[in-house]
Amino acid sequence: MKAILYWMFFTTKTAALSVTVALILAFNTQAESLSEFTGDAEKGRLVFAQCRTCHYPEKIIGHHNGPNLHAIFGKVAGKQVGFDDYSETFKAAQFVWTEELLFAWLANVEAMFPETTMMSLGVTDPQQRADLIAYLKRFR
Amino acid sequence: MSEKTIDRRTLLASLATSAAGIALSQHSSAGTRVAADSQEIKKWDIVTDVLVAGSGAAGISAAIDARRGGADVLVVEKLNKLGGSSALSGGVIYAGGGTKLQKALGFSDSVESMYHYIANSGRKHPHLDKIQRYCEQSVAHFDWLVDNGVPYNKRFSNGKGLGFDEASLYYSGSEEAWPWRDECKPAPRGHVPWEKGHQGGKRLMRSLLASAKKLGVKTQKRVCGERLVVESDGRVTGMLVDIKGERAAIKAKRGIVLACGGFIHNRKMVKLYAPELYDCSVPWANAGDLGIGIQMGMGAGAAALRMDQGFAIGPIYPPENTIAGIAVNQMGQRFTSEEGYHAVMGNIVTYKQDGIAYFICDKDSDRPRGDDNQPLVAEANTIEELEQKAGFPIGSLQMSVNYYNEHAKNGEDPMYHKSKKYLSPIDKPPFKVYDLSVDKSMYSSHTFGGLQTNVNSQVINVWGEVINGLYAAGRNTSGLPTSPYIASGISVGDCTFFGRQAGQHAAANKS
Repeated sequence: MKAILYWMFFTTKTAALSVTVALILAFNTQAESLSEFTGDAEKGRLVFAQCRTCHYPEKIIGHHNGPNLHAIFGKVAGKQVGFDDYSETFKAAQFVWTEELLFAWLANVEAMFPETTMMSLGVTDPQQRADLIAYLKRFR
Repeated sequence: MSEKTIDRRTLLASLATSAAGIALSQHSSAGTRVAADSQEIKKWDIVTDVLVAGSGAAGISAAIDARRGGADVLVVEKLNKLGGSSALSGGVIYAGGGTKLQKALGFSDSVESMYHYIANSGRKHPHLDKIQRYCEQSVAHFDWLVDNGVPYNKRFSNGKGLGFDEASLYYSGSEEAWPWRDECKPAPRGHVPWEKGHQGGKRLMRSLLASAKKLGVKTQKRVCGERLVVESDGRVTGMLVDIKGERAAIKAKRGIVLACGGFIHNRKMVKLYAPELYDCSVPWANAGDLGIGIQMGMGAGAAALRMDQGFAIGPIYPPENTIAGIAVNQMGQRFTSEEGYHAVMGNIVTYKQDGIAYFICDKDSDRPRGDDNQPLVAEANTIEELEQKAGFPIGSLQMSVNYYNEHAKNGEDPMYHKSKKYLSPIDKPPFKVYDLSVDKSMYSSHTFGGLQTNVNSQVINVWGEVINGLYAAGRNTSGLPTSPYIASGISVGDCTFFGRQAGQHAAANKS
C-alpha cells in the first residue's frame, strides 16, 4: 500500500512539475529569467515584508490571510492542509511551486492567474523578485 | 507597479468615447478631465440609490446602514476579492465609554476619558467634532457591530499588542503609559473579534459582508471608479467606472460613498504627498490602496487634508522583555518612552528623527533569535565598545545608558517615565544595537490623509462647502487617525463608524 501511495505521489508530482514548466513557458514572456539574477536574501527580507500582511514563511506562525510559505518550493500549489481560503484557481491547480514559476508569476500576478484572490500588486523589478525568492529559500 | 496602473488609467481615459454611451464634448480632453459633466452622459448603464466604491470596513458599513435606511445599494470593488485592507488588518475597533464587553469584563470607562485620550494624544488640532461624535456613540456602535454578527470573546488580555490568547479586549494604545495614565483614566478599548493567527480583520469583514448580503446589498467585483459625474449645480450624481476594460456610467440617485482606502501603493502619490512615508520599507495594505477615491474626490473639487500623515511602525515588542531596552537616535540619545504604543515611537522616528533610530539592549532585553524585523548593527561586551562599533559620537551612547541605568536601578525614568515593570539597568553583556531605521528595519506604513468630510461624512469642497451627493469614509478621508497613530482600532473604528454616517445620510438624501 505504501508503495502504491508513493508511486501515486511520485507520478502526481511529476505531472504537476510538467504543468509548472508549461506555465513558466507560457507566461514568462518578459525578457528576463531567474537564472540571470543573483538573489540577495537580506534585501529580499524587506521586499518580502509587504507580503507579510497575508503570508508568513515561519512554520510556527502557520496560515494567515494567505497560506504559510515555509518550504514552499516543491509543494503542489493550493493543497496545504488547514488553509481554507484558496481561490478556485488554486484549489484546482495541478502544478508545483518552483522558484522560476514564482519569479514569473510575481512579474504580473493577474496575467498568469486572472481569478486569483491574492491581493498583491506583484513585484515588477526582476532583481527584487530574485531577492524575494532568495529570502524565501531560507525557510525550509 | 502602481505607476503602471496609473498609466493604464490615463490610457483608458485618453481613449475618450466609450462603448457605454458616453459622449464627451468636443472641447474637452478625457485624458485631462478631473470630473465628468453630467451633460455628457447619454445613457446610464446602471442606476442605484446609493453607490459605494470600495468594500472594506468603511464601504460595507456604509452599505449596511444605507440599506437599512431603505436605499438600493450597490458596492463596487476594484479587486477580485471583497474586504479591502480592513480584511488584512487586526480588525481592532477602538471603542469605549462603557461598552458591553468592557462592563462584562469589569472595566469602567467614560466618554470623557476616551475623548480626552483621543483628542490630546495625537497630532495637534484634530477633528474634535468627529472625535466627540465617535466617543458619544461608541457604546451604541459596539452594539451595532455585535448586532451585525461580529463575534467577541468575553476575555481580556493584559499583554501589549494583539495576543495569542483568544482575548477580545486589551489596552491597544498608550493609555497606561505616561503622561496619559495620569491625565485620563486608562481603560482597555481595543475590541477585537478573535480569530486564530491575528486575523481579526478577516473575521470582522466576514461578518459585515454576510450582514450586508443578508440585507440585500448588491456587490460587484472588478469594477474600478475612474471619474465622478458632476451636475451644473455642483451635485455629484454618478461615477464613470471601468468594468474589466469597458467603460460604464453608474447613476446614484441619493448619493455616492467613496470608501476606496488610502494611497500607500500609489508610490507617485506617496512621494508627492507623504515623503516621509515614502522612505518606509514596507507599504502595508491591500493592493487596492491606490488613492483612486481621493483622486476622484479631488477631481470633483474636494479638499484633501493632512496628506502627509500616516501609520508608520517598526515595533520593538512583542515580546515585552525588549521594552526594558532603549531606543536612541543617531546621536545616541533617547527620544521617547519605549513603552508607548509602537506607532507613537514609529511616528517620532519617521517624522522627527529623519527616519533613523537604533535599539539598544543587553542580554535580558534582547530581541528574540531569528527575528527578521530589525537587522543587527553591532554586538560588544561593553557599551563603550558597542558605541564605537556602531559609530555613535564618542561618549554619547555611554552617557545615555549610564543616565538610564542610574535611575532604572531605582525603578525610575525621569526622562520619559517608563513604568517600573519595564525598567531594569542595561548592564548584562552581550550588548547589542539593532537598526530601527525606516529603510533598514521592517517599517510598515500606510496613509491617513484624505478628503475633508464633516460628521455626516459629507465631502467638503475647497471652499469649505458641502458637495451634495458625495460622501466619503475610512482612509479615503482625513478622519480620526493622525500621526502619531495613538492606538490600534482607531482606523478601523473610524472606518466603520463614519462609513455608517455616510450610509445613513446618503439613504435619507432624496432631494
